[in-house]
Amino acid sequence: MPTQLVKCPTCKTTITISGEPGEKINLTCPQCNQKGVFTVPKDINGRTMASSSTAIDVKGLIKTYNHFSAVNNVSFSVKKGEIFGFLGPNGAGKTTTIKSILDLTHADSGTITINGINVQTHGKEAKKYIGYMPEKVSFYDNLTALQNLSFYAEIKHASKEECIHLIEELGLGDAGKKRVGKFSKGMVQRLGMARAILGSPPILILDEPSGGLDPRGVVLIRDKILEMKKKGTTIFVSSHILSEIQEICDRVGIINKGVLVAQDTVEGLSKKLNLKPQITVTIDAMSTKVENAVKTLPGVDSVKTHGNTLEIICDGAMKAKVILAISTAGGNIQNIQSKEPSLEDVFMRYTEA
Amino acid sequence: MQTNVILSIAKKEIMDNIRNKWIILVSVMFALLTLVVSYFGSLGSSGWQNLGNTISGMTQLGAYLISIVAFMLGYATIIGEIERGSMSALLSLSATRFEITVGKFLGLGAVLCLTILAGYGVAGLVIALNVANVNYLEYLAFIGITMIFGLVFLSVALFFSTVFSKRSTALGGAIFLWFLFTIILPIVFVGLLATTIDFTEITMQTTLVVPDWYHFLNLFNPISVYTALITITIGAVQSSTGAGLIPNPSWYSSGLLLGVFLVWIIVFFALAVWRFQRKDI
Repeated sequence: MPTQLVKCPTCKTTITISGEPGEKINLTCPQCNQKGVFTVPKDINGRTMASSSTAIDVKGLIKTYNHFSAVNNVSFSVKKGEIFGFLGPNGAGKTTTIKSILDLTHADSGTITINGINVQTHGKEAKKYIGYMPEKVSFYDNLTALQNLSFYAEIKHASKEECIHLIEELGLGDAGKKRVGKFSKGMVQRLGMARAILGSPPILILDEPSGGLDPRGVVLIRDKILEMKKKGTTIFVSSHILSEIQEICDRVGIINKGVLVAQDTVEGLSKKLNLKPQITVTIDAMSTKVENAVKTLPGVDSVKTHGNTLEIICDGAMKAKVILAISTAGGNIQNIQSKEPSLEDVFMRYTEA
Repeated sequence: MQTNVILSIAKKEIMDNIRNKWIILVSVMFALLTLVVSYFGSLGSSGWQNLGNTISGMTQLGAYLISIVAFMLGYATIIGEIERGSMSALLSLSATRFEITVGKFLGLGAVLCLTILAGYGVAGLVIALNVANVNYLEYLAFIGITMIFGLVFLSVALFFSTVFSKRSTALGGAIFLWFLFTIILPIVFVGLLATTIDFTEITMQTTLVVPDWYHFLNLFNPISVYTALITITIGAVQSSTGAGLIPNPSWYSSGLLLGVFLVWIIVFFALAVWRFQRKDI
C-alpha cells in the first residue's frame, strides 16, 4: 500500500497516511486533533504510485572518485517498515551509498528509488519521504536549537509546536533557547535526531546515529528508533556498534571495499557462513572419558579443554545431547554458558581481507 | 521552484548573519568612516562637507570596503556549509540546489544591502542635519548604486564558494580576487594604456584622449564600473588609482553601466548554480 504525506490544514503538521490512490481516509491530526477526510492523490506525474512493499531500492550503484571505486555495483532493497542495518569497515562505501540514496553525491550509474520515485530524476518529490541524520551532524551555531529546528520545519512543512515537542522529547528541553554553538557533541547529536524525525517521515536514514553519545543518549536514540519502527517507519541505519545493530535490525547489509558482500537477517547470514553456537561447560574434574564422550558425538565440530572447562562448537540442535553426554560420562556439571553466533562474528568473516 | 523554501533559506541567512555580530560592526564602521570623511576629508576646508562631497570622498574607499564585505559574506556560503556538514542535511530535504542558491543570494544580499543602508544612511542623516541644501536624491542614488555594486561582488563570491573544495582555499581565492579587482586589473589596464599614449605631451590645457578599448576593458572591472556610474549619475569622483582622472567616454551611460552590473550578477549567479548542481557533497 503506498504511503503519502499530507499536511493538516489547521496546524500544518505533516501526517503520513497509507492508502490506495483515490481511496478516502478518515484522519485525525495527532498535533491539533483536527478531523477530516483525505483522498489519497496520484503522484506528481499523474502516475499511480506503485503499491510496492519496497521503501528504498538501489540497483547497480557505481560511484568512482578519481579512479577509486568507492561503490561498485551495489544493489539492495529495504522493505517498508523494516530496520535495515548497513555495515562495513571505515572507507568501505557506506557513506557514499547513503549520499547517493539522497542524491547528495551523483552516482556514475545505477538507479535509486524511494517509495517508487527515482531520486536522480525526481529528487525533490522523493526526498519528501525521507528524514536524514548525517554522520557529521551540524547546525547553524549562531541560532538556538529551536530556531534551527524551526528553519528545517518550515521547509518540511512541520509545525513549530512539533519542534518544541521534539526538543523536549530528546532531552533538550532547557537547551531549546540556547545557541547550538554552545552545545556539547551529544546534545548536537540529539538535535540531529530531532531534525531527522521532524515531520514524521516514513523513511529514516541514519548514519552513525549513536556516534559521540553517552550511554544514556545511546539508549534514548535506540528507543526512538524502535518507537519510529512501531509507527511503521522504515529505517536504514549505518553504525559501527554491532551489538546495537543486532538488537534493533530486521536485516543487515555488509559492504566491504565498495562491494555489498552480504544481505540477510543475522541468523540467515550465520547459517550461510555455517557459524555455530559455542557452549562452555565447567565440570568439577576433567577426564578423558568426558572429553571423548563429547568429541564422538555427531554434529560436534570442535572441543577444546582449558583445565576443567570444555569449549564446544556444535549444531544448535545438539546442545542438549552434549550436556547429557557429559553428565553420562561422569562429569559433574558446575556451570554452562551458551553463546549464539553474533553479528560481530558474521561481520568479521565477511570483511576479513 | 518553491518560494517558501527560498524565503526560509533567505530568512535563515539573515538571522544567522545578524546574530553573528561582525556585520553590525561593519555597519557602524561604514557610518563612522563616512562621517570622518565628510568632516575631515576635504582639503582646504574644515567642518561638515555636503553630501555630494561626501560621496566623492567615499566612492573609492567604499568600493574597496564593500567588495571585501561582500566577499566575506559569500566566499564560504556553499563550501562552508558543505565542509561543516549542514549542507547534506539541507539537501536531504525537498530543497533543490537552485532554491538553496537563490535563497542564499537573497538572504546575503539583504544582509549586505541592510549593512550599506544602515551605515551610509545613519551617516547621511547626521551630515544632512549639519549642512544646508541637501540633495537627498543624489545620496539615495549613491546608496542604491552601492548596493547593486555589493551584489555584483556577492554574486562573484557565491560562484567561488562553489568552485573550491575547502573553506581555507576559498578564502585565499577571495583575497586574490579582491586584489585582482582593486589593484591588479587597474594597474594592468593603465599599463596597457601607457603603451599607447605619450603622457609627456599632456599638459593642463590638453584634453586626455583615451582609446575606447581602454573604457571597454574597464567594464570587466566592477570597481571601475562603479566609479564611472557614480560619476555619471551623481558627479565627479577622484580616484586614488588615477583611473577616475581619466574622463568617461560619451558612450558610457547610467543604463549601460547598470546593465553591465546586471550581467555580472546574472552570469556569476548562473555559474554558481551550474557548478553547485554538479558538486558532490
